[in-house]
Amino acid sequence: MKTFTYNDMHFSVEKAQGRWDISCRTADGKSAYVAAGLFADLPESEIEARARALVCSMFPVGIKIVGPDVAHANLIGDLKIVGPDVTHPNFIYWDKDSSSSPKQL
Amino acid sequence: MEIKGSVAVITGGGNGIGEAVAKYFVRNGAKVAIVDMAQKNIDRVVKEIKEMGGEVIGVQANVTSEAETARFYQATIAAFGKVNIVVSCAGIIRDGTMLSLDKETGKVARKMGLDKWQPVIDTNLTGTFLTVRDGAEAMVNGGWPGLLVCISSVNKVGQVGQLNYSSAKVADALLPKIVVGEFLLRGIRNIRCVGIAPGYTATPMLTGMNQEALKAILADVHLGRLVEPDEIARLIGQCVENEAINATTLEITGGLCYPGGIAK
Repeated sequence: MKTFTYNDMHFSVEKAQGRWDISCRTADGKSAYVAAGLFADLPESEIEARARALVCSMFPVGIKIVGPDVAHANLIGDLKIVGPDVTHPNFIYWDKDSSSSPKQL
Repeated sequence: MEIKGSVAVITGGGNGIGEAVAKYFVRNGAKVAIVDMAQKNIDRVVKEIKEMGGEVIGVQANVTSEAETARFYQATIAAFGKVNIVVSCAGIIRDGTMLSLDKETGKVARKMGLDKWQPVIDTNLTGTFLTVRDGAEAMVNGGWPGLLVCISSVNKVGQVGQLNYSSAKVADALLPKIVVGEFLLRGIRNIRCVGIAPGYTATPMLTGMNQEALKAILADVHLGRLVEPDEIARLIGQCVENEAINATTLEITGGLCYPGGIAK
């Protein structure tokens, strides 16, 4: 079995029936599958590099830019009004009925 | 195109129809990437495919995100070197009528909020769009022949209580025709796109429902039972192997009719 750490995650690469399984140790200490049955044709010397390349593609490290929706600004004269980017995954939708048309009792 | 030797990406592959499609492809010699939101489901399906002797990767990802869609294609290509088949099974429901009235006053007491509308459109339509778009991009840039499969629903004809779901699924049904038309326009000849519109299917969501309600549904199905996920997987397998199936959406319902035997 081969092990390596990437981006604070611990991975193990284990041979089973001539193929390789890759698993990851999750934050709660459990093991999660990344892949199974791979690299049957590869020499053992290349396995760890290929496993690392796969893991890097699955768990990329980077910066997510959060900001207003500058692509769809409302123009008032030469003034640009930019609203929130409602397509952004961090955008939170109002989770109650609209107050623009309150129910009439 | 042969299934054997192909590489398939299946979103929503952690249960239901997606799981059945993934296992069908593995039984027939394909390598598969399981994409799902739930790591628990990924672990179970990857383990079972491993026991079948298959080659599989599992990627936890949200299909509504461009970045995560790009990520699961990059991982698939890193593992298997190509992509040939894409099946967009990821889908959710948030049922409810657009308006609900107060029984005493007859006035509107509640209306469907964006909390019910938007996630269904995001997952079932935008998610399918991103999955198909980036799958096609990978195939074109890699020079790999392929098939893109959108999962619509028989409720594309319009289902009361599913304004959000039906709106997304009718769009999913239309998507293959437009995508293939654009492929023709751009000279892309080796990638096809089809839609599958299942009827009531034996997924955990339906088999676990009220049995009396299920019985009422089955009264309108000529086959007299739910469609099995594996039957849908076999139809998708036919689509892979039969290149004449293209730019259309096929229904697989067991003969679903409106009440009274009128064809739906």
